[in-house]
Amino acid sequence: MADPRVDAYADALFAVAVAEGNLATVEDELFQFSQALGSNDDLRATLADGAVPAARRQQVVEDLLDGRASATTSALVSMVVAAGRAADLPAIVAAVVERGAASRNRAVATVRSAIDLSADQRSRLEAAIHTSTGREVEVKVVIDPSVLGGAVTEIGDDIIDGSVRRRLNQLRESFR
Amino acid sequence: MSQRRNRLAAAPLIAVLGLVALAGPAGASGESVGGCMAEHLAEAVEENHGDLEHTLHDEGVQDDLEKCFEAPNPILPETNEIIWGGLSFGLLFFFMAKKGFPAVKGAMDARAERIAGDLDAAEQAKIDARAVEADYQARLGDAKGEASRLIDEARGAAEQLKADLSARAETDIADMRERAAADIESARQQAIADLRAEVAGIALGAAERVVQSSLDAEVQGRLIDAYIDEVAGSNG
Repeated sequence: MADPRVDAYADALFAVAVAEGNLATVEDELFQFSQALGSNDDLRATLADGAVPAARRQQVVEDLLDGRASATTSALVSMVVAAGRAADLPAIVAAVVERGAASRNRAVATVRSAIDLSADQRSRLEAAIHTSTGREVEVKVVIDPSVLGGAVTEIGDDIIDGSVRRRLNQLRESFR
Repeated sequence: MSQRRNRLAAAPLIAVLGLVALAGPAGASGESVGGCMAEHLAEAVEENHGDLEHTLHDEGVQDDLEKCFEAPNPILPETNEIIWGGLSFGLLFFFMAKKGFPAVKGAMDARAERIAGDLDAAEQAKIDARAVEADYQARLGDAKGEASRLIDEARGAAEQLKADLSARAETDIADMRERAAADIESARQQAIADLRAEVAGIALGAAERVVQSSLDAEVQGRLIDAYIDEVAGSNG
């Protein structure tokens, strides 16, 4: 069950991004920041630490995103962090991405891969998923070294696992 | 019993009373020589009207006085003694025959009867004792038989128990052996599985390291392409 506060923040961020006219860019930047936050424990702990003054936490966000993200993205992340909701930021970003895809009549396909996918690979993967499932999707790539090779795609509750990790696990199971 | 005892006591009492009553007259015949002479002399003086001189010279008187010196018959008692003695004897015999003898006879009969009763009782007690002994012997025989039977039963039960325990022990041993074999087999299977898992872990770790070292950007790109083709080729 979705957290009402997460939905409220997601609605707010989505509305701001739509109003600013750069929804796709904001979505992508928010997604990248969310992935960086998830892979960096120190950063996550600092931004979620209530003992750290809000201004200090906002400064950290602005220092990180300065020159790397749009002003809208920086302001939105800074607002969420200042409100003490940094821990909820990955869920909020996921909800924003879903709303953006939904606004384009598409679903979000989260692809975990050891390397980033090229634009060609993303478009081919979206086409392949459409061919396979009949659903229009937008691919969001999450860099995950534990995948080793290949990729794992999650579309809602559906998972398409073609990773080297899965093959190694299958090999491990076959030894038992 | 008390009436018989009273009769026995009455007989000698009557005899004694008879003797006491008849003792006086019997004793009169035994007077002394002086008394005899004085009696004869007094009678003679009275017959001679008090003339003592004449009386002493009278030959008849002298003969009578001489008789006083004659000893009485040592065998034949005095006549009055015979009479009194006879009467006393008869009276005593009569009372003894009427009272004493029946009492004594009754007492003797009672004693004989009691002795006979005692003998009968003793005989009966002897018979009873023999019956008791026979019963005892019978019971002893029964007890011996019962004891023998119990011993046989106990021996049979012991044999059965021994057989049961032996069978149970054999069953337990077989079960333990079976369990031990199962445990050994389980431990063997577990050891094999552990060894296999360990070997698999080592092999997979090595394979993972090899894969990681061999997955350069070009290979990763081909893997992604292959994945895309796989997704496109899959059907929902």
